[in-house]
Amino acid sequence: MHISTDLLAHSSAFSPSSNAAPAATEKKKLIYDQDHRGPLSTDTAATLMLLQAGNIDLLGICTVTCDMWAKQETAYALRLLELMGRPEVPVFMGAEEPLLNTKAEAQMRYQMFGSRTLGNEGYLGCFAKNGGSRDEVEPLPAPYSRFAEIRAQAESAADFIIRTIRANPHEVTMYCGGPMTNLALAVMLAPDIVPITREVIFMGGGLHHSTSSVNVYFDAEAAKIAFRAGFPKFTLVTTDLAEQVHMADDSKVDAIVDHAHAPIADLFRLYEQAPQRANPRRQSFRMPDEMMAAHVIDPSIFGGADDMFVDVVTHNDGHYGDTSFWDAGWQQRNTGTPLAGQNNPARKAGRVQVLRDIDKRRFRDLFVDLMTRPVPGGAR
Amino acid sequence: MTPTRREFMKTMGAAIAASQIPDAKARAVQPSAGATALSPRRKVIYDQDLSGPFGTDLLATLMMLQADNIDLRGITLVTGDAWMKQEMAYALRLLEMMQRTEIPVYPGAEMPMLNTKEEWQLRQQLYGGHRLDPWMGAFNRVNGGPDAVEPLAAPYDRFAKLQPQQEHAVRFMVRTVRENPHEVAIYAGGPLTNVALAIALAPDIVALTPEIVVMGTGFHAFTNTFNMFFDPEAARKVLRAPWPKLTILPVDLAEEIHEDDELSPMHRMIGEIAGRAQAPIADLFRIHAVQALQRKPGTRLFRMADEMLAAQLIDPGVFTRSEQMYVDICTSPGPRYGDAMFWRKDWQSLPAEAAPAGASEADRRVFVDPSQFYLGPPPSAGLVNVLLEADHARFKKLFVDVMTAPRQPSPG
Repeated sequence: MHISTDLLAHSSAFSPSSNAAPAATEKKKLIYDQDHRGPLSTDTAATLMLLQAGNIDLLGICTVTCDMWAKQETAYALRLLELMGRPEVPVFMGAEEPLLNTKAEAQMRYQMFGSRTLGNEGYLGCFAKNGGSRDEVEPLPAPYSRFAEIRAQAESAADFIIRTIRANPHEVTMYCGGPMTNLALAVMLAPDIVPITREVIFMGGGLHHSTSSVNVYFDAEAAKIAFRAGFPKFTLVTTDLAEQVHMADDSKVDAIVDHAHAPIADLFRLYEQAPQRANPRRQSFRMPDEMMAAHVIDPSIFGGADDMFVDVVTHNDGHYGDTSFWDAGWQQRNTGTPLAGQNNPARKAGRVQVLRDIDKRRFRDLFVDLMTRPVPGGAR
Repeated sequence: MTPTRREFMKTMGAAIAASQIPDAKARAVQPSAGATALSPRRKVIYDQDLSGPFGTDLLATLMMLQADNIDLRGITLVTGDAWMKQEMAYALRLLEMMQRTEIPVYPGAEMPMLNTKEEWQLRQQLYGGHRLDPWMGAFNRVNGGPDAVEPLAAPYDRFAKLQPQQEHAVRFMVRTVRENPHEVAIYAGGPLTNVALAIALAPDIVALTPEIVVMGTGFHAFTNTFNMFFDPEAARKVLRAPWPKLTILPVDLAEEIHEDDELSPMHRMIGEIAGRAQAPIADLFRIHAVQALQRKPGTRLFRMADEMLAAQLIDPGVFTRSEQMYVDICTSPGPRYGDAMFWRKDWQSLPAEAAPAGASEADRRVFVDPSQFYLGPPPSAGLVNVLLEADHARFKKLFVDVMTAPRQPSPG
């Protein structure tokens, strides 16, 4: 159904609430960029974690087309903030299309080269055949029930990213839970933000489970620009790590439904518990975006990171968006053998810290703890 | 006090000093008396890889400054033929010498979206160099880096006092098109990085831009042209966008002018301008064309690509034939990175060709009936207006007239 996209327009009537969270001194300043799929998904669960964590200063939420079209995601994000009693968090609608990739080409590449095989993630987000179109905004189901009264900001996500990082040099962490279209645009427009960004954390790519994931192959050019930009610290959650924990593991969902407050309990009851009970063989999704949130909230949950180079294939063929990894210490590999020095990265490859070894017990505890904390302004 | 190189460089950095340039809107809109009657006065954003001291970028800039039916809202710069900061140095001083300091100049993209000098050189090693167009612009081996601003050649003599705008070229483009819906044409004489970023950031400006003119692509001379292969991703983005009118000047048409018998080797035209134009145009032609030809007689001058593109905005009647075609740019970083590909708009209704004598019935069906083939474009290709033929005499007259016209008055 078509509705007016007016709900995304700027409202000057809206202003941040005066009783914003106190003592932000030790809080981590975060820009949260997300392809915010509703009603509940790895995207939404990560949003809930960051809203519930006490040590995060959420400067703004940026949306980007991938899992859904950006307008639909923005509608979900705005209403979720209302339900969570957090209307002061500004929402910026970001790129509605990837830099170059198009739905028609994504579809045609699958026809010509075959889809990515299972391990390589055939998922196309809103570029799937039944993925709708960019100006269609569907009504929001329970517990969202209706569109939000709060509005998205007039400023574009890329402009917000540039302005915020410049205003807080060396302090802002950039969370990219979707394709890096907004970040790539920000870097192209203002390369000066790169050295003054504290950290970028991104979910995408893989070494073993798959060689890519939708956040990369939905906008391969953007990923290449962002990886190569030279950020001081670029942390990566790969599909290999994300596959280690799924939502249905460890009876998390039941614990959340039993102990969480509105609207979190409703979301998990309707969109995790009920479908799982209806179909016990259902494969629940892995938790990549929640892991990124966990890294922002409590990095000690992870057993360190591998220092690596990464690059992205942008040939318009079956490998569009594949990631390639190399050890940062490639010059020391195979020393004393004829293979020494031959494992070099691509000339312009980016440097990333690939997270490894998640403490599953602590991750589960953190996740359930955050989901079951009181929601002070929460509305049914 | 004339700024030193160091002082000039300082102003080029992140902390560009606040502008002292008066509002471009203050500029008089009355055409000067005695001007040639051309197309109506048009608002233009002029995006250029403005390589100095002379050459196609610079001559096109002079045309836009001199033409009395062009309302130049701003010059936006992009790395291409030269690095953006070096281009800025030439652009600002040129405006001073032309006494047109009311025109704001905006710093744009210093690097292509993805292309890099190192990878370009590696591609050349792997796939072979570009036999017909080896020019690499800012990525030429002899060029310094993005921050190396060399002193300006005569007759520029020194760096400008005029300052660049603080606003980024891309933001200026978006703002200006939105403030003047359906009124501002975009001239894109260099790589399309700035325009691509503008429409990625603000897709709404596409429908609000009445015309964009682009130099690049080719059919027969060669298919891989500098403005496209310097930033192929940006070129693909811009050529695919649904502009109300995108006009492209392919290299084939630009090649005709310096090869044309009547103009070649253009000595007569150059002499005419050097003799009749006002300073600094006369000096530019005397130093960089007349004297260059005296030093090296028989030199083949560069084709007049950007100048012809300027003609599309100043006097579109110069062009006698154009055709709507589909176009796309190859972005796979292989040997054809940046190549242009064209398809006919009427590919579905092409007439069957007469069968060659003695063709069998099967051949007749297979080879001469276009309906037997898929002749159409790939998904997402852009539909553009391709300039195919020009009235050389009219172009030459326009060029000489504009170059020798009295300088446009600066307001105030």
